[in-house]
Amino acid sequence: MDSLHAVGFYASAGVSLLGGLGVALLQRRDSRGAALAATAIGVAGIYLSLSAGFAALIALICLLACAFVIAGPAHRSLAPAMSPLWRQLGAISAALLFALLAFSAFKGDFVKATFYGGAFDTAALGRLLFGHDAVAVVAVGVLALVAIAGSSAAWHLRERPPR
Amino acid sequence: MTVGLVSVLFVGAALIAAGALAAVWRRDVTAAVAGLPLMFAGAGVAFVGVARFAAAGLHELVGQEMAILLAIASLALVTLGLGLAGRESPR
Repeated sequence: MDSLHAVGFYASAGVSLLGGLGVALLQRRDSRGAALAATAIGVAGIYLSLSAGFAALIALICLLACAFVIAGPAHRSLAPAMSPLWRQLGAISAALLFALLAFSAFKGDFVKATFYGGAFDTAALGRLLFGHDAVAVVAVGVLALVAIAGSSAAWHLRERPPR
Repeated sequence: MTVGLVSVLFVGAALIAAGALAAVWRRDVTAAVAGLPLMFAGAGVAFVGVARFAAAGLHELVGQEMAILLAIASLALVTLGLGLAGRESPR
């Protein structure tokens, strides 16, 4: 990997991590949406610098759509009765999770291999997606269909006035 | 300046932890849902890193494929979560 790709990787990683912290800590919906959009751009940049151009395009579209949905003012706020102690324990658990994953990344003994694919290898990815692993693609497609149909139905059913 | 698998996994771990923090720290459930795409994106970064630095032969692009499927699944789950939460009632 040359220096240009390395600079792109580290800049994109910084943008995505700042956006991730913004999603976790910002208060307003539109600010969280903007932070998630920044994460989307950063993650797409990471994918691009790692020679995964098509995955970058799909991730950019999907994460920007997530940001648009999250920033929207229409959905209802649901606040469960959870004590601050449990939230603080959860935050400590997230920090421990990061420490565990980072430790395993540093101490792991990984195989090294040379990458021969292109920067935007859509033909090989298409063969993989629709030939070798077609069942997984169908499963994710069904999940997306059920999720969108279910959320649309729930969205409209809650608004129907009682008879 | 160079990039290796450890750097990529470190960034993926940080994204997953940020998503977990968003999911547990937010009081509002619909705000906590925003942590899901972060965690899925972190897993996707790790998969793409493994595909770039530690996979060869027929399975060279499987990590990229997993990242694509994870991105689509995260969008579906966020849509489902916010749809189930419902619309803000007019006042």
